[in-house]
Amino acid sequence: MWHRVYAIIRREYLERIRTKAFWISTILVPVFLGAMMIIPAWLAARGGGQFKVGIVDMSRRFAEPVKEAAAKLLAEDQEKLHITFVVEPVGTDPQAAREAVKRQVQHHELDGMLVLPATLPDAGKPEYVAPNVAAFKLLSVLERAVNNAVVQARLTAAGLNPSVVGKLTKRVGLKAMKLGAEGKETRDEGQGFLLSYGFMLIIYISVLMYGIYVMRGVLEEKTNRIVEVIIATVKPFELMLGKILGIGAVGLTQFVLWGVMLLALTAPGAAGILGLSGLQLPAVPPLLMVFFVVFFVLGFLLYGTLYAGIGAAFDTEQEAQNFQGVITIFLIIPLVLMVQILNQPNGTLSVVLSLIPFFAPMLMFLRMTLVSVPALQVAAAVLLLLASILGAAWVVGKIYRVGILMHGAKPKLRDIARWLKEA
Amino acid sequence: MDVILSLEGLTKRYGDHVAVEGLSFDVPRGSIFGLLGPNGAGKTTTIRMVMRIILPDAGQVFLDGEPVDDDRRRLIGYLPEERGLYRKMKVLEHLVFLGTTRGLPSNEARKRASAWLERFELGEWADHKVEDLSKGMQQKVQFIGTILHRPRLLILDEPFSGLDPINARQIKDLLIAMREEGVTVVLSTHVLPQVDELCDHICLINRARPILTGALEDVRTRYGGNTWEVAGTFGAADVGQLGPVAAVHQLGERILAELAPDAAPRELLAGLLQLGDVETFVRFVPDLENIFIRAVEEDRQHVA
Repeated sequence: MWHRVYAIIRREYLERIRTKAFWISTILVPVFLGAMMIIPAWLAARGGGQFKVGIVDMSRRFAEPVKEAAAKLLAEDQEKLHITFVVEPVGTDPQAAREAVKRQVQHHELDGMLVLPATLPDAGKPEYVAPNVAAFKLLSVLERAVNNAVVQARLTAAGLNPSVVGKLTKRVGLKAMKLGAEGKETRDEGQGFLLSYGFMLIIYISVLMYGIYVMRGVLEEKTNRIVEVIIATVKPFELMLGKILGIGAVGLTQFVLWGVMLLALTAPGAAGILGLSGLQLPAVPPLLMVFFVVFFVLGFLLYGTLYAGIGAAFDTEQEAQNFQGVITIFLIIPLVLMVQILNQPNGTLSVVLSLIPFFAPMLMFLRMTLVSVPALQVAAAVLLLLASILGAAWVVGKIYRVGILMHGAKPKLRDIARWLKEA
Repeated sequence: MDVILSLEGLTKRYGDHVAVEGLSFDVPRGSIFGLLGPNGAGKTTTIRMVMRIILPDAGQVFLDGEPVDDDRRRLIGYLPEERGLYRKMKVLEHLVFLGTTRGLPSNEARKRASAWLERFELGEWADHKVEDLSKGMQQKVQFIGTILHRPRLLILDEPFSGLDPINARQIKDLLIAMREEGVTVVLSTHVLPQVDELCDHICLINRARPILTGALEDVRTRYGGNTWEVAGTFGAADVGQLGPVAAVHQLGERILAELAPDAAPRELLAGLLQLGDVETFVRFVPDLENIFIRAVEEDRQHVA
């Protein structure tokens, strides 16, 4: 049996590895993911720019304090942001001054205008008026500068020393420390979450993508009419097994290549060459990597088998769509349930959900990235998955045996149930 | 008779529809055996049961006297009616793949496939994708895939469909050459002139049942009956007047005189000699098409 299964695996693997699509996705996915992580950081690092902001100070006392506060903030933050303030003298008619500055903004002489209402510091909300209000860094500096200036004025009016109050009300902050299995505490500033989320997403996308490859492969063999040539010597079950294992091996190869790329990127010196100093990837415990592969493999085997059954039962992808949707929903549910797991990784509901074979590849793995899951639960999840894979292979094997030779009329659920009895 | 393949009471039903019923026949070793019948008669279902692609409701298939199981069926080279290739694969790779699924080591499969491609004048296409080949060339590649593991028995379902006369000739010559080497061939087809020259044994299936089985020569004699092709210095009407003649048929220029089954041919010859000079006097041998049409007619009347 195995040399025939091997022949099928070999063909599936080599034919797919040789496609341009494989190499393009292998290279583009990390480039894309990397770009999503690096570009915002890079933009923020070199961000800033020159801004010219007009101030219409209807309160007639806050223009200078705001300018000072802003200068202090810019100096503290070491931002590469430069703001030049142009204070518009407010005469007897504040509205006329506002209109005058507004015209300058409209004519692009100014990037925007800051309007400080007459009711400050007791009430009123300052406004920033500009064609572009998405310059978040600028907005943040302006808001903090106005706040600081106004609060300082209020404190002084109440007879308090602003610098004393500033010291006393300094933010304390909270450090998130992840407690490891051996009692080791490590600082976690959200990399933990990103890591869990990233890995779960990779499992989801890979299982879905490679599962659909299996379905398409089966459909292709039916459309090509090659299937009968093959099953004259290879049992349908062997063909199904070979196809699933071959495509799964392509998926693993892609992971290995991504792993190598990641290692190359984090190797000493590599980051500097790429001009990405400061790029820090969270260290991933090796055991977690092992389980990442384990859960991808198990998840793929379960869903790949189901997709193979759908491919065998129908003639075209359009016909298969409804059933394909049902299976895809099983894959999406864990993504929806993710919040529950994040809040209470060891809660009863989380434990139960992570044991259900359809969800386990993603949810059990997610829990493992968050907390140390009892070994017994992990073992139970793996065993349940294995049992489901065998069960699915048994049922789908029957559908496959009958379905791959069927052409023409789109089968109904009733027909498929009949095939199960016949096979 | 040395039998290589034997079918015994093969039956397949789909719900109320009977696809094949109680089909039995023996294929003599070293023969080219025609499995004939109109479209939908049950030929493909029969072959699929032999190949265990579908399992029979009743009956058994024996290869060399042993029941055919999943291992023994690999001794058969099978070209299904519904056949295709992976379009994106390279021709030689594809043949190596087919060879390895049939148990050949890949280097041996590669050697044999290259040799066959050369023989079929496809050598320069070995590294092209299947989809670049014409339909006829693809058919030849499929045929090579079928014989790559040197089976002693070939089962070919409509092997000539889609082939032009030159390519069909090439395959026919090869089949005849393989028979010389002791290979047995079972051909399924509804296109009779193609197999008339090839087959030495036939089984004719109509409406799920076998209606005619045996050596083609015997069948021809049976259906030719006591009919004689004659020619000479006389016309068809003159021949019809002769005593032993039951009916006269004219096939183009040829005159066929059908005698009563127990009539002696020499009485016909004596009568003809009285009419004039006789140039031709031979037993009429019906071609497969004649036999086929008559057998199917008789079967219909029999049922009615």
